[in-house]
This record gives sequence, C-alpha cells and structure tokens, in this order.
Amino acid sequence: MNEKVKKILIDFSAYLFLVIFTSLTIYPVLNVVSISLRPADKLLSTSLSIIPEGATLSSYISLFTETLFLRWLLNSTLISLAVMITGVTLASTAGYALSRFKFFGKKAVMIGILITQMFPATMLLLPLYIMLIKLKLLNSYLGVIIVYTSTALPFCVWQMKGYYDTIPVSLEEAARIDGCNQFQAFYKVVFPLALPALVITALFSFMSSWAEYVVAAQILQEPELYTLAIGLKQFESSMATQWGLYAAGSLFVSIPAVLLFLILSRYLISGLTLGSVKG
Amino acid sequence: MSKRQNIFIIAFLLPAVIVMFGVIVYPFVYNIVISLSNMSLRHFRDWRIIGLKQYVKVFSEGIFYSVFFKTLIWTFVNVSFHVLIGVFLALVLNRKSLKFKPIFRTLLILPWAIPQVITALTWRSMFNYEYGAINIFIAKYLNLSPVEWLLRPFEAFTACIITNVWLGFPFMMVVALGGLQSIPQELYEAAEIDGASAWQKFKNITLPFLRPVMAPAITLGIIWTFNNLNIVWLVSNGGEPADQTHILVSYVYKAAFNLYRYGYASALSVVIFFILLAIGLYFLKKTRAVESVYE
Amino acid sequence: MRPFCFLFLLLFFTSCSENSDEIRIVIWHQKPPGEREVLETAVKKYMAEHPNVKVIVLYKETEELRSAYIISAVAGKGPDIVYGPSDQIGVFEVLEIIKPLEEIFDTGFINQFDPRGLLWYKGHLYQIGDQIGNHLFLLYNKKLVKKPPEKMSELIRIGKELTKDIDGDGKIDQYGLVWNYTEPFFFIPFLTGFGGWVMDSTGNPTLNTEATVRALQFVRDLKDKYKIVPRECDYNTADALFKEGRAGMLINGPWSVGGYKKAGVDFGIAKIPRVDETGLWPAPMVAIKGYSINVNVSERKLPYVIDLFKYLVSPEVQLEHTKALGTIPTHKKALESEIVKADPLIQASISQMEVGKPMPVVPELRAIWDAMRPYYQAVLGGTISPEEAAEKMQQLAIKKIEEMNE
Repeated sequence: MNEKVKKILIDFSAYLFLVIFTSLTIYPVLNVVSISLRPADKLLSTSLSIIPEGATLSSYISLFTETLFLRWLLNSTLISLAVMITGVTLASTAGYALSRFKFFGKKAVMIGILITQMFPATMLLLPLYIMLIKLKLLNSYLGVIIVYTSTALPFCVWQMKGYYDTIPVSLEEAARIDGCNQFQAFYKVVFPLALPALVITALFSFMSSWAEYVVAAQILQEPELYTLAIGLKQFESSMATQWGLYAAGSLFVSIPAVLLFLILSRYLISGLTLGSVKG
Repeated sequence: MSKRQNIFIIAFLLPAVIVMFGVIVYPFVYNIVISLSNMSLRHFRDWRIIGLKQYVKVFSEGIFYSVFFKTLIWTFVNVSFHVLIGVFLALVLNRKSLKFKPIFRTLLILPWAIPQVITALTWRSMFNYEYGAINIFIAKYLNLSPVEWLLRPFEAFTACIITNVWLGFPFMMVVALGGLQSIPQELYEAAEIDGASAWQKFKNITLPFLRPVMAPAITLGIIWTFNNLNIVWLVSNGGEPADQTHILVSYVYKAAFNLYRYGYASALSVVIFFILLAIGLYFLKKTRAVESVYE
Repeated sequence: MRPFCFLFLLLFFTSCSENSDEIRIVIWHQKPPGEREVLETAVKKYMAEHPNVKVIVLYKETEELRSAYIISAVAGKGPDIVYGPSDQIGVFEVLEIIKPLEEIFDTGFINQFDPRGLLWYKGHLYQIGDQIGNHLFLLYNKKLVKKPPEKMSELIRIGKELTKDIDGDGKIDQYGLVWNYTEPFFFIPFLTGFGGWVMDSTGNPTLNTEATVRALQFVRDLKDKYKIVPRECDYNTADALFKEGRAGMLINGPWSVGGYKKAGVDFGIAKIPRVDETGLWPAPMVAIKGYSINVNVSERKLPYVIDLFKYLVSPEVQLEHTKALGTIPTHKKALESEIVKADPLIQASISQMEVGKPMPVVPELRAIWDAMRPYYQAVLGGTISPEEAAEKMQQLAIKKIEEMNE
C-alpha cells in the first residue's frame, strides 16, 4: 500500500510541477500571439489580455498575401534540410572514428573542433565575406550551407562521440566474430543504437540554420533567395517595425521547427536501449 | 594500427574536419593579423602592422576587467540553470507512469523553436516597470513592490539572465532526454533489488551515463553563452542603463564596431578567445569528457 | 549517396542564369514600410518603360545597411545606388566608397533642388535627397489636447492636467507627454532650446556647457518634478501609449506618422514649444535621406544608373512619397505643388524643420552619441547630477573621437 501511495503522490507532484512550469514557459509565447493579433503594430500594451481589443487576423492575411513568406519558407526549408542531412552524415561517421580509435593527434583534433566555436562570431564576418567573394560562393545556397554546417558540426561530432562512448565495444566485436567488417559493424549494430543522438544532431543542425540571420544576410543578395530570418527582418525597421507582421511571421517560422521536433522525438525516446538488444 | 584502419579513420573523419576547419581558418588568421594592426576608420585600406599596441589598449581599459567578471557570472549562472532545469525536466518527463508527455515536451520546446528576436523583445516588454507582466504579477499576487527592471544595472542584468535561462533550458532538456535513453533498464532493476534510494540510483547509475552525453552540450553551452551577444543586446537595448549591462562580446560590438575600430575589436576578440580556451580546457579536464563511460 | 545528390541539385538551383543583354541595377535602402511600397511601385513603373533594365531593390535596416555597404563597397562590390540618411555620408566619404555627384550631374539639374535637399560635404556633392526630414516634432492627440502648447510652461501645465489615474486603480493610465527620452537624439531639441549644441564648426564636442546642464535638469524635471512622463519610456512604449490614446503629447518624427494614421489616432503636428527661460525654439536635427552612387559602378553601367537615379529623385516620385506619408520633398517643383501646400500636417512639419538645425555629417558625431548616452541615462536615472554628467560627457566624447581617429 505504501509503495502505491508514494507512487501516486510523486506522480501528482510531477504533474503539478509540469503544469506550472509549462504555463510559465509558454506565457511569453502567448504574448507573441497577442502582438500578432493586435491592430496597429504595437509591441507593448497596457492591458494584459491575451486576446487584445480589436483582435484581427489582418497580420496573418498580409503575411501570406502581401509578402514573399511562402517563398522564404521554401528557401529556408531547403537550406536547413541540406544542413541537417550533411550534419548527420558527417557527424555520425566522424564521431564514431573519434570514439572507437586511438590515433596520433586524436586529442588535438577533438580540442581543435571545440576551439572553432570559441571565436566571437562578429569578428569573423568580414573575413568570411572576403573569402566567399574569392570562392565565388556569394549569393548562393552552397555558401550558406557550408558555413552553417561548419558551425553546427562541432557540437554534433562531440555529441555523437559521447553517445557512442556509452555503447560497449563488445557488441561490435561480437558482430566482427560473426563475419562483419568494420563498416558493417558500424552500420548494422552501432548506428541504430545511436538513434537518440542522431535525433539530437539532426534537430540541432536544423534549428541552428533555420532562424539564423547574420550569415544569411551577408551571403544572400537577392529577394528570391531570402530565408525566413532575412524575410522577417524586413518587417523590422529601427523605428517603424511592423510588429503585427513580425510576430505572426515569427510564430509561423516556429511551426516547422516544432513539427520536426514532434516527428523526431518519437525516435528520441525510442526505448531502443541496450537492454532490448541482447546476443 | 593496420593500413585498412587508417583509411577507415580518414574516410570517416576527414570530411567533417575539412568543413569545420576550412571555414574557420582564414577568418581566424585574418583576425590575428588585424589585431596586430591599426585598422580603423582612418586606416581602412592602408592599415599596417603596429605590434601589440591594441592589446595594451585592451588591458589598460579599466572597464575590461569588470565586464570580464560580469561575463563569467553571466555564463556560469546561465549554464547552471540551463542544466539543472533541463536535467530535472528530462527526469520527470522520462517517468514511465506519466501521461501527456508528448504535449508537455512539445510545449517546453517552444522557447528554442521561436526566433530569438521576438521573444527577447517580448521579455523586454514584460520587464517594463509599469505595464510589464512581471511587475503586475509581483504587485498583485505576491504583494511586493514592483522592480525597476530595466532602469537599474543589477536588475537589468538579472532580467537578461532570466530571459536567457528561458531560452536555453529546452536544449539541455532534449540532450538529457536523449542521454537517459542510453541507460540499460536492468541496472535500475538491480539497484531496486539491492534497496538503493532514489538519490543513490541517480548518483551511481544516471549520472555516469549522462555525463558523456551532457558534457559536449555543457562545454559548448558555456562557450556559446559566453559569446551570446543577442540576448543581452536586445533585452537591455544595447547596454542600458548607461552602458552598464554588457558582457565582453556586446562590449566589443559597441566600443569597436560603432566607431569602426577594427584593430582594437580584433585584439579584444582574440583576448576573449584565449579566455574561453582556458575555461574550455579546464572544464574538459575536470569532466574528463574526452573519455568514455566504460573505460 | 543521397545527401550528395541532393547537394548537387541545390548547386544547380543556385546558379543563376544571367542574361547578358540585361542591365541589372541594385539599390539598397532603409525606407520604412510605407515608403518601401512607394519605391517599389515607382521602380515597377520604371522597369515597364525600360524593358532591358532590371532593378533589384533590397531593404536593410539603417545600421546594418551602413556596415554592409562599407564591407561590400570596400571589397569592390556592393549595390549601384545606396539610399539612407545623410550622416552615413561622413563615413562613406572617409572610406572613398561613393562618387562625387557634381561630376556626374550638370549644374542645371542640381539647381532644380532646394539647396537644403542636397548634401555637400568637403566641397563635393555626395547625396541628393528625396526628402528633407528625419526631424522630431510634437504630435498631440486632438481629443486630449485642444490647442498645442507654444511654450514649455504651457506644455507642463497641459501635461499635469492630463496625467491621471482614470479608472481609480491607483496606477496612472494617461500621461501628458511621452517620448523616447533615453536616446540622445531625442534630447537634442531640449539641448538647443537652452542654446546648446553638440559640436563646434571643426567637429570638437561642446557638451560641457551651461546649456547642456540646464537642458539635462529640465528633462529630468519633466519626469521627476512635474511627473508628466512615465517613469520608464523607450521608443516602443511611447509609440504604444500614443496609439492607445493614453498620451496627450508625443515627440517623434515623420517616419512614425503613417503608423499613427493607420491606428486611427486623431492627431496634429506642431513645433516643439519654446523654452521660456531662453525664448528659443527647440531645434531638432534635420537631415535629408537620399541617394548616392557607389564608387564601384562601371563606366559601362553608369549612364543607366544615372537615368534611374534621376527618375528616383524626380518630382513625380517625390510627390508619391508625400501623398502616402507626408514627407517633405526636395525638388523645387514638388515643393510648389498643391499636395504639399494644402496638407496641414506637412505644413506643420515644414515649420518645425525651418527652425531645426542640420545634422552634422562628420563621423565624429557617432562618437558623440556614444559619449552622451550613458551619462544622459544616468542623469535620468538619478545617479549623477547634470553638472557632473555634462563634464563627463565632454571628456568621454573627446576620448572616443581620439580613439576613432587613431
């Protein structure tokens, strides 16, 4: 009896905590919704109501009919998916090599990867621009994808390595004994078990490209190529921002990211733990 | 080390390494060179190397040290909260007996999913003295007097931290959730039989498995937070009140870019880099993040 | 395999096919939303009449426009035409990235413009404006303020009457005056009202004057002594309060007028009231916003760029802007038109502009803003006295200018 009561109490506290915390977390988001519904582009309001007075969907309508929003959506999706695929591919293999093998300079490589993240980004923009001009990658998606991938990879590679480290080598050894070569051992045994980490890598690569502004604005020079972040910035003006459009746009920008998370989170919590893979 | 293995390693590792280092190397070297030069508005095309003079300027500016200190506080407070909240939520959301987990998970990820600019500005308006939700809540439900969030340096800094904590915990939560999946259930079952308490289970089973998975996130989290210009800039409107709300990178941006002092900005950035390098290496050593859990 | 095929396809998509017979002209600008539409319509009309010319119009926010233009123009690229406020010219001139326009357009053409709409700097014409403005004026909500004040003492009196708690909940719901009082640019009218200014004719800062001290004290008094402005009020707060009809008066500029019309506020424009102690009209900074030509434009392309340029500053296009947003044109013909003469808002804006002072174009101004800002905000926050602030601003300005010119 005692065990059952304890369990119910803990469950109840957990629910309570989750409800309170989640409400606090989404309150600012509800604020953004209010801004999108408010007439006349007001960032602030003296009233706290979520549905503002005179609420109107005009921002949303303008968003889809008067701006190139759908075009930006397509562009951003292309770029982010490309970064996601490249990121997962390169990180899953690099992380594996770093996890399983000892070789000369391994520590240097690992630390080197981290080091690429330490430089303040603002300073890197000017030389990056010059470099891209020389390589004729200005105003192209390829330039953007390469830069995004290089910024997302360090975390992804480390993440994959860390996760591979929790998978015992004995599994691959067993597979080798059964006749697999190194690559097959990786692909058939280890890779599927690393699914949660792959999800994190995919999600991270996608998210870090999806709403990125500075690099995209420097590289892309044509309205048809603009990403969502650049598009959103168009609504911003140092003293005349169209807050309604901006808020509505921001909310729609988040939807694909949330959808991706919904789809991928099933694999995050796949339950495919070591316990279920025996022998 | 067989030749075959070497090829394998290279094939698996090289593409990623080329992409990561290739993009960074030129800008990095360029910056080191500029930091030794006098590049500025008056010497934009005809700059020359002048040695370490810019570095002397960086270190002789009194503000540097106080901003550095503030940046350390900013980083460690933020990351600590990110991790604590993230891991805690992950543990709760991993509990088998709870329902509606997908809904909670998805709602909790919203801070990460929504573009930072609008949420940072929304938070800024929530901190408004008279009309902001936070002061209204404090006055009405907690019966305390409202806080001048954006008008006083300490409070403004706190406001930036609160906003950044809100933005950053979902990421740690997701990483922790992933990490929790790697833990074999039998270990918990065995511990249960041995009569271990919840805390003991956490310390001896959960933690060791979480460490290699969380270590990259935490280390990089420290690096990213240290260099996160956006939030401080947006919530404090560029350092208000009176240029008191700065971390090193926003200080570089303002002091240097506004006045086109590229040489000085580069030197300051290189210094920031070395500070981070020291912190990063120290942290790596402490968490032994380079090793795996089974070694 | 799949990922690499995907990347290949992307490469394919991104290689833009260029028609070599077509002339591509790129314009970068920072026009607020309402003006943007006018520009884009005008450009479409131009392209319809010139089928072999493709004009690409890109918007960038003011600060970003400035740095992006610098980076690209210095690297030999950048747009063909760049549009923005006059103060960007100071920096562009030092970096030699814009063409002197008196070498391109003849005197006859240049004389068609009101001299206040032309930007001459260090002996060269660098920018031709399509609007004079960017200046602050007083807006008032006609429902709350029947007749706009002409003296500061009247403003304070009206402000006190209007600042009150309407619904009895203990919080003030309506303010007499709101404005972005934390930003130095918005402080200038008060500074000049007391007879001060930011720099002398050689670009040296002149912040440690009696005028500065009195102006700082006055602004602080509006908040702490007369209490007619909110305790915390940045740009967005002032804007929202005025749109909600909770502010009697507002100090803002022409860029915001479109927004208030859209919000349905019944407002008027007037000159910022005279300072009683000095009898002076506060003089906000007046600047033009105009077009310049990139130094990198090739000889071959230049004639086309010139033709487009002339079209963009023509009276017809300027008046389109005026019709939509009440901007003050620069072309003499446009200034004579009925549209300008018959609109009370534009006339009020012009009368404010006429007592204004031209915004300095020299790069040193940026250093001065950066020096003023922290101490100005500290005075408002009550942490230092106006005397101390004026002295400190001066010292910091001198220091920053030195650092900038190293």
